[in-house]
Amino acid sequence: MEDTVNSFSLFFNYGLPILLLVFAYFIGNMIEKGHFRNIRKREDAVHGFPVVSFDTMPEEWRAGSSTMVTGSIVISLDYFKRVIAGLRGLIGGRIKTYEPLLERARREALLRMTESAKEQGYDAVFNVRLETSRLANARRDGNGTAGVEMLAFGTAVKFAGRIG
Amino acid sequence: MKYIAKKPKEGINVSDVHPLVEAGTLVVGLTAIFIAIVLLLVFLIEAALYFVPAETEAELFADWLPEDLVTISPSDDRLYEAQMLVNRLSAHWADAPYTFRVEVDDSDLANAMALPGGLIIVTQGLLDEVESENELAFVLGHELGHFRNRDHLRALGRGIVLSLFFAVVTGNDVAGIGINVADVTLRGFNRDQESDADEFGLAVVYAEYGHVDEAWRLFERWDEQRNGTTGIVTYLATHPDAGDRVEQLERLAQRQQWPAEGEVIPLKW
Ligand SMILES: [Zn+2]
Repeated sequence: MEDTVNSFSLFFNYGLPILLLVFAYFIGNMIEKGHFRNIRKREDAVHGFPVVSFDTMPEEWRAGSSTMVTGSIVISLDYFKRVIAGLRGLIGGRIKTYEPLLERARREALLRMTESAKEQGYDAVFNVRLETSRLANARRDGNGTAGVEMLAFGTAVKFAGRIG
Repeated sequence: MKYIAKKPKEGINVSDVHPLVEAGTLVVGLTAIFIAIVLLLVFLIEAALYFVPAETEAELFADWLPEDLVTISPSDDRLYEAQMLVNRLSAHWADAPYTFRVEVDDSDLANAMALPGGLIIVTQGLLDEVESENELAFVLGHELGHFRNRDHLRALGRGIVLSLFFAVVTGNDVAGIGINVADVTLRGFNRDQESDADEFGLAVVYAEYGHVDEAWRLFERWDEQRNGTTGIVTYLATHPDAGDRVEQLERLAQRQQWPAEGEVIPLKW
């Protein structure tokens, strides 16, 4: 009787978090790999479409019309990444498990912006900027980050003539 | 200027470290650091015990009480009787450096603990569980044994150090750390410390009554109850298994040829 109670509490105290960690690692890894594959495929599709960060339009671009295009993504980290980052937080250093996450966010946001420009028939985007904001709290005490938003925006232009 | 489309270089912003390698490094490294810290602290506590004599400790903690202690009414008979009993028992410890004080915690969970400066806390729950003065005498004698070996300071030191450590780790306010009964309750001693304390406790009981009858009757009852269905006795969480203890005590009494039969004194409340 007592043994059952003991093994139950042992399971809930240690087994469950570890199980969660393993589960989060595999699912998180799968989703991340899938996302990167998808990003590469779509980057290939928009390859050659000029997206630049100049704040003034290059002189050769004779713009017929322009608009602002945006692409934004909200991304969250899995439990595994969060735990590892927490351990990292004790001693400092690069939080390596966050890097692929932000890389995905940046590229996805840029892609969405570019795709939106392309879809609307624009020929190029300049003055591209990236912004990040922490979105929500993971815990009730106001600590922890549930996710970040990555916003890419820029000025899309339609060329009046061909580029010189 | 000619615009030449280039594909972004992959992975420049991502460290080429497998997440599991990162996790492994962190876990192993932090565990090593943690163990090193614990060893260092154990050493520091032992050093402090060596340099701070019990007399100094008794002086420092003369009027001290844990912050979260909720005592029963000071006019309660049980408090008075327990204090009287401790006074009689500690008389058998020649030149004890402490003036022992007894406080009764109003918790219903049976427990007893030794705290700095000769403070013995017994819970109301324990006083309700004991059925004779001899039973209570052994529990109190056992706590006296912890004072004699200064186990109480080791456990406390460990506890304070651990709460400090966790406060630093979790970024909590270090200033808010005090000595709480709740912490002490959760901290046990190791087996050797316990059997040393038992030995001292039984010797004190023998010195007081001239026999050891009923001294460990409380543990026998708890051991019997364990096989049935009872609530969890916290005393058992911080002390060795009641059954093992009874056997050890029986053997000790036989070895020392302390009489197992004698007059059992009823409780005065
Ligand atoms: Zn003990």
